[in-house]
Amino acid sequence: MQVDRLGGGGLIDRTKTLNFTFNGRPYRGFEGDTLASALLANGVRLTARSFKYHRPRGIVGSGVEEPSTLVELMGEDASGNRPVTTVPLREGLVAKSVNCWPSPEFDIGAVNQLFARFIPAGFYYKTFKWPNWHLYEPSIRKAAGLAGAPVEAPKSGHFENRYAHCDLLIAGAGPAGLMAALAAGRAGQRVMLIDEGMQAGGSLLNRNLTIEGKPAMDWVATTVCELDAMPNVTQLQNATVWGYREHNFVMVNERAPEHPSILERNWRVRAARVLCSTGAIERTLVFGNNDRPGVMLASAIQAYVNRYAVRPGKRAVIFTNNNSAYGVAADMAAAGIDIAAIIDSRETVPDAARAAVPKQEILSGHVVYSTHGGRLVKAVSVMPSNGGATRRIACDLLAVSGGWNPAVHLWSQSRGTLAYDEALSTFRPDTPVQNAISAGAANGDLTLADALRSGAEAGAGGGKTPEIPASDDLPYAVEPIWRVEQARGKAFLDMQNDVSVDDVHLALREGYDNVEHVKRYTTGGMGIDQGKVGNINIIGTVAIQKGLPLDEVGTTTFRAPYTPVSFGAIGGIREGSVSLPYRHTPITAWNLANGAFMYESGARWRRPGYFPRTGEGFQDAVNRECRAVRNDVGVYDGSPLGTFELKGRDVDKFLDHLYTNIMSTLKPGRARYGLMLSDDGLVADDGVALRLSKDRWIISTSTGHADAMNAHMEEILQTEFPDYNVFITTVTSQWNNVTICGPKAREVMEALGTAIDISPETLPFMAFADGHVAGIPARIVRVSFTGELSFEVNVAPRDLLALWEMTLEVGAPFGIAPIGSEANHVLRVEKGFLSLGHEVDGPIDPYDLGLGWAMSKKKADYFGKRSVALRRDGTTNRRELVGVIPEPDRMIPEGAPLTPGGERKATEGFVTACVYSTVHDRWVGLALLENGHSRHGETVHVRLNEGVIPARVTPPIHYDPEGERLRS
Amino acid sequence: MTYDAKIDRLPIFALFDLKGPQEALSKWAKDTPAFPKGPNKLTHKASATLCHIGPRRWLLRDDLENEATWSASLNPEEAPADISIVRVSDTQTFFRITGPDASEVMSIGCTLDLHPAVFADDAVSYTEFFGCKALVLRCEHGFDCAVEQSFGNMIKDFLNRATA
Amino acid sequence: MMNIPCPFCGPRNEAEFAFGGPVKPHRPDPNAVSEVEWTQYITTVPNPLGPVEERWWHVKGCGTWLTIWRDTRTHDIVEGPGDAG
Repeated sequence: MQVDRLGGGGLIDRTKTLNFTFNGRPYRGFEGDTLASALLANGVRLTARSFKYHRPRGIVGSGVEEPSTLVELMGEDASGNRPVTTVPLREGLVAKSVNCWPSPEFDIGAVNQLFARFIPAGFYYKTFKWPNWHLYEPSIRKAAGLAGAPVEAPKSGHFENRYAHCDLLIAGAGPAGLMAALAAGRAGQRVMLIDEGMQAGGSLLNRNLTIEGKPAMDWVATTVCELDAMPNVTQLQNATVWGYREHNFVMVNERAPEHPSILERNWRVRAARVLCSTGAIERTLVFGNNDRPGVMLASAIQAYVNRYAVRPGKRAVIFTNNNSAYGVAADMAAAGIDIAAIIDSRETVPDAARAAVPKQEILSGHVVYSTHGGRLVKAVSVMPSNGGATRRIACDLLAVSGGWNPAVHLWSQSRGTLAYDEALSTFRPDTPVQNAISAGAANGDLTLADALRSGAEAGAGGGKTPEIPASDDLPYAVEPIWRVEQARGKAFLDMQNDVSVDDVHLALREGYDNVEHVKRYTTGGMGIDQGKVGNINIIGTVAIQKGLPLDEVGTTTFRAPYTPVSFGAIGGIREGSVSLPYRHTPITAWNLANGAFMYESGARWRRPGYFPRTGEGFQDAVNRECRAVRNDVGVYDGSPLGTFELKGRDVDKFLDHLYTNIMSTLKPGRARYGLMLSDDGLVADDGVALRLSKDRWIISTSTGHADAMNAHMEEILQTEFPDYNVFITTVTSQWNNVTICGPKAREVMEALGTAIDISPETLPFMAFADGHVAGIPARIVRVSFTGELSFEVNVAPRDLLALWEMTLEVGAPFGIAPIGSEANHVLRVEKGFLSLGHEVDGPIDPYDLGLGWAMSKKKADYFGKRSVALRRDGTTNRRELVGVIPEPDRMIPEGAPLTPGGERKATEGFVTACVYSTVHDRWVGLALLENGHSRHGETVHVRLNEGVIPARVTPPIHYDPEGERLRS
Repeated sequence: MTYDAKIDRLPIFALFDLKGPQEALSKWAKDTPAFPKGPNKLTHKASATLCHIGPRRWLLRDDLENEATWSASLNPEEAPADISIVRVSDTQTFFRITGPDASEVMSIGCTLDLHPAVFADDAVSYTEFFGCKALVLRCEHGFDCAVEQSFGNMIKDFLNRATA
Repeated sequence: MMNIPCPFCGPRNEAEFAFGGPVKPHRPDPNAVSEVEWTQYITTVPNPLGPVEERWWHVKGCGTWLTIWRDTRTHDIVEGPGDAG
């Protein structure tokens, strides 16, 4: 039964009844309700327990400011810690309160109330510091009882991110925002009008005001209609501008996009100008037991009565320090709520306010100092502000209004400054830093006429201001009270975090006297609501205690998000297979179809690790692939190697500067291995350069460093040597390759068919030739990464799959096998070839790697030359590359430390790689070892948790040290 | 389908990367469309499009069947030292996104402002698309968007998710 | 997400750029400077609280290496000492 639903009125659709469940009980509401309004309509007043003390709590607000009742939604739209006032009601909604178990009526944690005096601010910091906080954190978090994260991904759709651009982004479609949109929209600007509510109107939805003599919502409807017709205006409802970043980059969370398969959408908007017309938020008043269910913000009651046709109580007391509550009182009375009294802390109540409720008893110069009741307020205690007789007034609803705070959160995120306004007793926007403006209540223009005017002017931005419609509103006046001195019982400043006046006093006594420190120490303002109704009272309390004006106390920093945003909305569609980028080569489908075990192998490339045959394990497959290359022939796809074409008159000069060795002497048709250092002497990359003609070159980089080398080369050319005539074109994906390697590689090449003379005399090691292979235009390059005779057949990607399949077909009689990156790794370790990231790390230089020959002595300068010389000057005990043979024969994990004698001493090196060598039929490895070049033959010791492994030091080349095979 | 948009992965185009001073290039490269007047602008001639995509840098696009003709006329091997011409046809995978919601699909992946007043018919630019470097230009009823070939499968994956 | 002005493309989202670090002095001739001067050049990177001149590479755009003055406190792109009229 919707016992507290009014007989008529409201912006709800009474023809659409919605069933929902709250804390296990079934209820009904109407289309247009929020969960909060529906619960109140059903007479549910006790809706929550507080965070720390588990005190009974009810619904306090009507929107994003709600500090008190957080709910967890169950089922399909599972999400936690949602303010009950921001959950639109829908059919079948299942929700429960957080912070209490099993229910707010019977809450086991409520026992905390008995110990409340023993758990003041800072209690956790002081108590749970030994041995460390992390030991206690999990159980405290559980006791604190905020909702857990959903455990399953939503089934009904996905999240989306999108980018947008506009001339004017308007945050808030209240009277100011709508006027601004009209002004800018009519002027042809690209406008985005974003509003957090389910429908436009802002405060007009909740108040009984008129514009041009008609209900204000009529004007809203007409305005929305006009804006809808403008193609240059985008209107979003149920969408929050939650972040204001640098350079007018604004984040918008649209919670229910019209597409059914999109759960939420996050807009990233670059706006030339941003208007903060975010409205104002009513602040609470601070007195004893001001958190009891039935104590609500006056503006919230106004919203429930007018917008939702709900009567949140039968007999009310109103406690205020400003005029706005008088308009609320009139609306409440009209809805049939009996107003027992209006308690106004001001000695003199302005006539304009009195006129709103002409017959009402008003106790001016009085305060409410405490409330009474258990799970619902039953009475309030009242006394004159300056002392005197107390009085107890029975009621089941207490409306409080402490005045209004412009919602400056977004403005502050934009780094705009705030100034304290004495007349309004609050902070309001002062000087913008980015291209932002503020209008309406958000700017402190708290009457409707002012809001319409400032919105129109802001939207026009100096252009033509539209005509401002006539409106009526109560003039605003306030006299602040930051806390009731005579308060009896806990007086809460931040209800969500259970922070009371006493906690702030304690923080100040203990020396946390900056407002930011008070925030951290007490957690006041750190909840999901970020202290929207209470922060200013904390500032006021600090000000009173320290005897300072409010503007000297200042505010805490406002940070994004303004209201909670789900992680899904931030992540967008980037989940599952696209969580990380990935790249593929043209034969990826073939690899998968042929059982390759694929994984990332640097620079986001997904490559085959190995090709297991049926029943074959990892090591067996890798061993078989290695034997194929060493004994017969193997083939792999070497496409991901970074490849660049260089062209220009000065390429020679440039490459000589880039590489440590001399490149300019290379003849066309020949290739040369080269080493590149960074200017601080570290090994940046290695690769092969091919000279195509006098001024055309192809250079290759390692797969993982292709992007970095491209950046490096472009930076040098554009900043260091802008006068060099060199052009770089990335051709990694123009030249893919099939690399055929092994003693029978030449026979396979002949079987494929090519007119190129591939004899060792005409096409020796480190030579290349252009022509056709198997009828496909190709460049054959004689380089080898396996130590075997090797032909790298470079073709356009469009031809790669055909060449690959033909190679396997004609190679079959020779025992050809496709090989993956694991076998490649084994083969290169056997040969002592370098791998960046394995052998090449920070401190290592080319001499340590045995590549001193590549460091040109003839060239006066090249990148890294001076720095390497400096580093080597006077250093002893360099770590040098060696081979290691584990004795006994076993695997050593990569990175395993070498220590003198295997003792617990400083390391003298580490094992960089260890593989099972099929040619030696045992494990062999590479290591970086102090003075390793002079220690061949020694035994060193690998120190592992499981024990010490001796290993014999050898030269780093375990196989074919003369390189006869690769030259064959 | 969330969006009324059609997504096609196109066969490769003939693409040539042209670098160098415009004067030297236009002297060597005959029969190309006229060099565009400004940065990130394009011009057409028959089926060919010439895009000004960077300082002293252009991209020539044409149907693949004309690749050999262009190779012969541009003759990269013989081009003077102070200009660079490289065939890069295989390096880019083009997606064609068309239909009433094409620009909405684009906005999910692309940071660039594609409003017709800002990004007109003669506009072209490298920008970001689902985290990748991408060339974006208009086509009839939508956009052509090219990414490095090796990211093609991933971009398809992204587009499938975006329009699911 | 900054909006970085590219001399070729105009203002573009930061995501299109790669950070190239603060601008160091021009690379000296390593054979003409002392050890101390060379080490200084290699290891000293400007890191002020306030405006710093830095390089960005428009890697996902036109490929230009550009220079901006960025205020490290605010991300504001500001006029450098040499830019003033």
